[in-house]
Amino acid sequence: MNGSRRLHRVLLRAYPAGWRRRYGAELLTVLVERRSGWRDLPDLLRGAVDAWLNVRLAQQQPAIPGQLLATVPGPGAAGVALPVSPRTHGIVATAPSPRELSRRAFMRRMLGAGMALLTLEFATGTVNFLWPQIRRGLGAKFRVGTVKDVLAIDASFANGWPFAYNPAHAFLVNVPAAKELAMGHDVSITELAATDLLALWRKCPHLGCLVPAPCESITRYQCRCHRSTYNILGEKMHEGPAERGLDRFAVTIDGTGTIVIDTAQITQGPPNLGPANLSFHDPYAWDATCAEA
Amino acid sequence: MAPPGREPSPDLGRFAEPAMLVLVSLSDGPRHGYAIMADVEAFSGLALGPGTLYAVLARLEGAGLVEPLPAEERRRPYRITAAGRAALAAQLSQIEEFLRVGRSRLPRTREGRA
Repeated sequence: MNGSRRLHRVLLRAYPAGWRRRYGAELLTVLVERRSGWRDLPDLLRGAVDAWLNVRLAQQQPAIPGQLLATVPGPGAAGVALPVSPRTHGIVATAPSPRELSRRAFMRRMLGAGMALLTLEFATGTVNFLWPQIRRGLGAKFRVGTVKDVLAIDASFANGWPFAYNPAHAFLVNVPAAKELAMGHDVSITELAATDLLALWRKCPHLGCLVPAPCESITRYQCRCHRSTYNILGEKMHEGPAERGLDRFAVTIDGTGTIVIDTAQITQGPPNLGPANLSFHDPYAWDATCAEA
Repeated sequence: MAPPGREPSPDLGRFAEPAMLVLVSLSDGPRHGYAIMADVEAFSGLALGPGTLYAVLARLEGAGLVEPLPAEERRRPYRITAAGRAALAAQLSQIEEFLRVGRSRLPRTREGRA
């Protein structure tokens, strides 16, 4: 019962405001007396469409005797109809309201809405078209594969040797294993979370040379151009002119276990502030360099 | 299209038939919305939906064929006007004419012979 009452009120909102003011209350009464539920829905909707198409009909109705209209015969404006609190009684005022929509205004508004919609679509399409869609090179997201895939290509990844993923110009570092490797331990770690992974950009922050794989002697990266040296986690060591460690790409592991390197998200390498600021210390001297370099 | 000498009835389009039902219902006294629907259903067997009823009432009122009376509680009775009676009478006589012509052109039925 209450539900159908609400349905009626909602349905009534489908009618133009002027129509509602004139007929809304009595129509509601009829619906209540009729115990009308959903069965009148199609008829009421047709009625609403009709009311919108003939929106001037309700406006042209003559005033109703004894109804909520006080006619003020003012000196300047003869016979101005003032609706007296039409809301409190919910019944009827015939005065055309300034909010009333004429058919022409309705059509104009619909045209405007249509054009706005079209413009919106066009704008969305344009922005979508112009939005950078980087699929290759710096800025793209690279799906490296699962840890298993990586191990199939390079089994030493489990022992801590960085995996050179060339499409992204990055070293993928198995952090727990890499630390053990640098300490001289022989381990194999294959259960890895995203936080256990580091993607180091192989571009030397000094002048941009490609940083080679860590040397076997002290497991540090050493740039061939100016001997900038980094520990296994890419932190800048004493040797060389670079002022910070290797930059890092964001690494995630998606629902299927695939490692994803996002080269659009770059974190600058840690600044070179001396040995006290390193997150990891290998057993070699602060100023040690690769023997073969 | 109205024949000469007759009141041209307002163009009600697809609401012409329900309008006539409403006018007939109101000719023996004012009725409010729900009473009109009940009365129409009683004398014609045709169900008039509330949306249709008010579309018709709005048109009839606009054409001056019915007029609203002061509301009683939350119901508003409507009364047929003189113009409304004239329009209804004109329509009914049109229908009478239609019936006469139709009957005269049909071959005589058994009832006609009796």
